[in-house]
Amino acid sequence: MDFLGEGLRRAVALLLSGDVEVYGIALLTLKIGLIATVFACGLGIPVGFVLATRPFWGRRAALTVVNTALAFPTVVVGLLLYGLLSRRGPLGGVAWLYTWQAIVVGDIVLALPIAAALAAAAVQGVDPRIRRTAETLGAGRWRTAWTVAREARFALAAVITTAFGHIVAEIGSAMTVGGNIRGQTRTLTTAVALYTSQGDFGLALALGLILLLLALLVNVALQALQGRGHA
Amino acid sequence: MLELVGVRHRYDGRVVLDIERFTVAPGSGVAIVGPNGSGKSTLLRLLALLERPSEGEVRLDGVVVAGAKAPSAGPAARRRITLVEQRPVLLRGSVRENLEFGLQVRGIRRTDVNRRVASVAARLGITPLLQRRRHELSDGEVQRVAVARALAIEPDVLLLDEPASSADRAAAQTLYRALTEERARRPLAVCLASHQLEDAYRWADDVRALAEGRLSPVTPENLFRVDLPSSGSGELKHVCVGTIEIAAATDKTGPAILAVPPTDIFVSREPLASSARNVFTGRVTRLTHQRPGAVQVTADVGVELVAVVTEEAARDLGLTPGGPVVFSFKASAVRVF
Repeated sequence: MDFLGEGLRRAVALLLSGDVEVYGIALLTLKIGLIATVFACGLGIPVGFVLATRPFWGRRAALTVVNTALAFPTVVVGLLLYGLLSRRGPLGGVAWLYTWQAIVVGDIVLALPIAAALAAAAVQGVDPRIRRTAETLGAGRWRTAWTVAREARFALAAVITTAFGHIVAEIGSAMTVGGNIRGQTRTLTTAVALYTSQGDFGLALALGLILLLLALLVNVALQALQGRGHA
Repeated sequence: MLELVGVRHRYDGRVVLDIERFTVAPGSGVAIVGPNGSGKSTLLRLLALLERPSEGEVRLDGVVVAGAKAPSAGPAARRRITLVEQRPVLLRGSVRENLEFGLQVRGIRRTDVNRRVASVAARLGITPLLQRRRHELSDGEVQRVAVARALAIEPDVLLLDEPASSADRAAAQTLYRALTEERARRPLAVCLASHQLEDAYRWADDVRALAEGRLSPVTPENLFRVDLPSSGSGELKHVCVGTIEIAAATDKTGPAILAVPPTDIFVSREPLASSARNVFTGRVTRLTHQRPGAVQVTADVGVELVAVVTEEAARDLGLTPGGPVVFSFKASAVRVF
């Protein structure tokens, strides 16, 4: 218990002292998390809408693919992306390997199926009469989708929260394509892994606490955006 | 003119609607009657362009707007037709926002939106509900708001699926009065699905029966246009229908529709000693399996009447086409409207 208590005291001290390295890692994680969430949800939620509402050939297969992609091991995604971005890979020319942009791409690949699958489930959970009502009152495709989204707002907010949570907690891909370079690609998760292995438990715990705090802040912000919960 | 042509519609491979032609003429009042599950709601959804028929096409003023081989109908066509479902839902927001929805998507100016909302709310008696939200309304109120929301957009064709199923008598009258006023005010075609013949005949210039997804070649069973005499003992009137006289308990006089619900007719081989004022002897002309466990018995008793009995009863009575049969029903079972 002393060991844990000591770690916690060190963590609090680091947070209160405004340690540049700790806050730098936290800000980079937040930046990567927000950008990747915007892209993953910006693409994944519309895909989920289409999967849930538009009958097309191969829809069932597409849903199966998306659901399977939910269980993609993060390290495998990192490995595939490493192959694509490495100097000899097909995307080697962009020179993104071991940059924060590579981590963003990996996170998008990981979170997109989550956003799509959960958004499809959220939209399928909306009473089908809502969509029919919007359509029969003359709404076009986008207005109908917006009307349905308003009904599914809590579930869709949960999609965004889940995607963000998955992104900031992910380590396999970030470590593989980011390289955990100090001051450049070191995120909260890769830093926690590094400092724990180095025996700096206090620093690792401080970073872990910040990670929890980030998740909490995003949840609170989304709940505030949803407004009061009345129909 | 809105019409279905050669439509066969399937759910999971099962044909739920098979209609060669169904037309709603401009300004007409069409009622579709039929039991639950007969395909009325599916028919209305196809007419409302909310579903594309598996086979055949939907035409609006002669132009194909939805079909098996045509793309889905666009909002331009859909904006001329609107459907109020049997159990309508209100969208998120207040009743006022619901009434405004269809007007906003049409880009109607704010002042016109306010005027139309106030007018339709007054006609449907829902002005006090305008600030309420859906969870603060009863089922009957939701139904009235849904009809108001549909009328607000002033469609060419209004499709109503059991519009008064959740309304009490007064609310139903308000609703029907508002529809009558609307039809008097401007050319509006109303197509109403109901399992209540009173609704259908109160409304329609044209009543069409639907059974198991097909339009029935005859109007609903046991309906007769009659002229009710002014004389009669108390409320009991004897009305000539074909070659027989039907006793009906009514205080109405003059032209009316007389209906004998098939399920209110007792079927026997011999006349029964009972309180029934109407006892008619005749011959079975047709036995039809209407749904599992039920047999429709059509008999010529001077006019053609239809009764419904269980399969077991039909077997026990030994009913066969051409065989003798007695139909009995009480004067109070006769519906007059």
